[in-house]
Amino acid sequence: MKKILHHRRSWMIVPAHDPKLADTIAQYKPDVVVLDLEYSVAPKYKEQARANLVKTVSTIATDDIEIFVRIDKASRWADVDAAMHRGLTGIIFCGVDEESEITEIDALINTKEKERGIDPGHIELVIILESAKGFWNLSEILQASPRLSAVGVGRIDLTMQLGPVPQDEFRLFRYLMTRTLVAGKMHGKQLLGAMWRPDSRGGVANQESTKLAAQQAKLMGYTGCICATPEQVNPMNLGFLP
Amino acid sequence: MITTPENKNKRSSINSNNPMPKYIRRSILALSIDDPILEKKSFDSWADAIILDFSKKSHCNWQQDILSRMPSAIAIAAKGDAEIFIRIDNDFAISELEATVFPGIAGIILKGAHSAADIQRVSSALDSLELSRGILANSIEIDIEVNNAACTWNLLEIARSSARVGIFLLNEQELCANLGIQTQASLPFDPLEYIKSELITVATSIGGQAVGMSYPLSLATDSIDAETLRKGILRARDTGFKGAVCPHPDWINLCNSGFRPSEEEANYYVKVIEVFAEGIKRGMASVPIDGKMIDVPVDLRAKVYLEWAKRAKARDAEKHQAHQKP
Repeated sequence: MKKILHHRRSWMIVPAHDPKLADTIAQYKPDVVVLDLEYSVAPKYKEQARANLVKTVSTIATDDIEIFVRIDKASRWADVDAAMHRGLTGIIFCGVDEESEITEIDALINTKEKERGIDPGHIELVIILESAKGFWNLSEILQASPRLSAVGVGRIDLTMQLGPVPQDEFRLFRYLMTRTLVAGKMHGKQLLGAMWRPDSRGGVANQESTKLAAQQAKLMGYTGCICATPEQVNPMNLGFLP
Repeated sequence: MITTPENKNKRSSINSNNPMPKYIRRSILALSIDDPILEKKSFDSWADAIILDFSKKSHCNWQQDILSRMPSAIAIAAKGDAEIFIRIDNDFAISELEATVFPGIAGIILKGAHSAADIQRVSSALDSLELSRGILANSIEIDIEVNNAACTWNLLEIARSSARVGIFLLNEQELCANLGIQTQASLPFDPLEYIKSELITVATSIGGQAVGMSYPLSLATDSIDAETLRKGILRARDTGFKGAVCPHPDWINLCNSGFRPSEEEANYYVKVIEVFAEGIKRGMASVPIDGKMIDVPVDLRAKVYLEWAKRAKARDAEKHQAHQKP
């Protein structure tokens, strides 16, 4: 099992095909750079984003930056193939429903590590939960691969699936955060998520709300979160400051 | 097989589908058998239940040491008619049970369990000890002190793992530490709200009950004024907890009076039962009282609350009687 790295507070998402991503990283200095192959890349740019990954990773990789690639569940095989190169720290897999999906992706990563000369077991796997099924199978999922180092709560997709109408606070979301915390701690994983409010959440949250969401999540045992925008990096770093 | 009246615990005879609380354990106080004034502290506390803790001396055979002192500690701690429990560390459960299980205890509090297998292992050990020490078979409860993530995750399996499982005690300080939750009680919500909900539901589902306190008192380490504590106990009771582990003896009286229906509530429910019975006689399915609609579920709740109040009163009478003894 990998050591939990508590300094990974801000996980900044940047589209993997973004020509300015090096500048964005230099400007915002996140703890973790997440090169995205999922939502932030329009379908017509997916192929280009995959093709550029080798060069992108080698360009931005430094001792100070950890690089993860967020893969698209629907095209995960091609995405993992494109992402697996020296300089990569791990893969982020969103929307996991069951253990077998982790076993499968773990085997694929194993193969690619051998092919690409990467130390066996070096590539980490981070999962973001986005479905009721995933939450229910969480303990089994977290035991499916020793690469699995962190687990996060994916609010948007989850809200869409479960369908609560946000009122004063996301009570259902808080329940899921608690459930994830218990399972994550039971299996020694880092917890990713923030205590967002319905009127100030995710991509629309301002810096103050983001910091508060991070601070409250920290009090709840969470130590980092995905940043939907680069502007959230600094408040996340401050909010999750140990 | 010897049946000893001393180790009968104060449980209700009604089955698990009945919403009546199974035990009257409103206040639980932990004391050490090494305490030179254990007898006085136990007797003066008026706690419904006492947990006996012990320390293992390094300079001697700890098992022999505890074995020789535990029976008298149990007897003196029980003089005020508190139910007696021994706290056992899951990691050393078998050797600790050997040294501590004697007639007179109602059960053991198993701390640090992770899974159903832990409970089954302890239950098997108790089977043997009951047989060898003349204790009624299957009479010693296993109560679970919830203090870690695995125990929380596996609650239902743990609850169903043995018929001995009775109550669940939430150790919030340790659970928060285990989960990485800050314990300064500075969140605007209870970080353990959903864990508490699950704990109460699971415990009730097996006919047991949950013991705990409402946030933020559950994490409080400073002294608390009586009014704040009274309100916190009421919140805990109305969440579904049936008692609390008292960090200080000052809590005990308030827990004894708070984890039960109040006189005012009891009077109201007497009226509910009377008015509803009259309505039924007149062929009605529901009747109004003070603008509220009373029907079958409300009538049932009234009966449960009155029975609960009656049993709490009876428990107090038992303790008073014990305190009258010379």
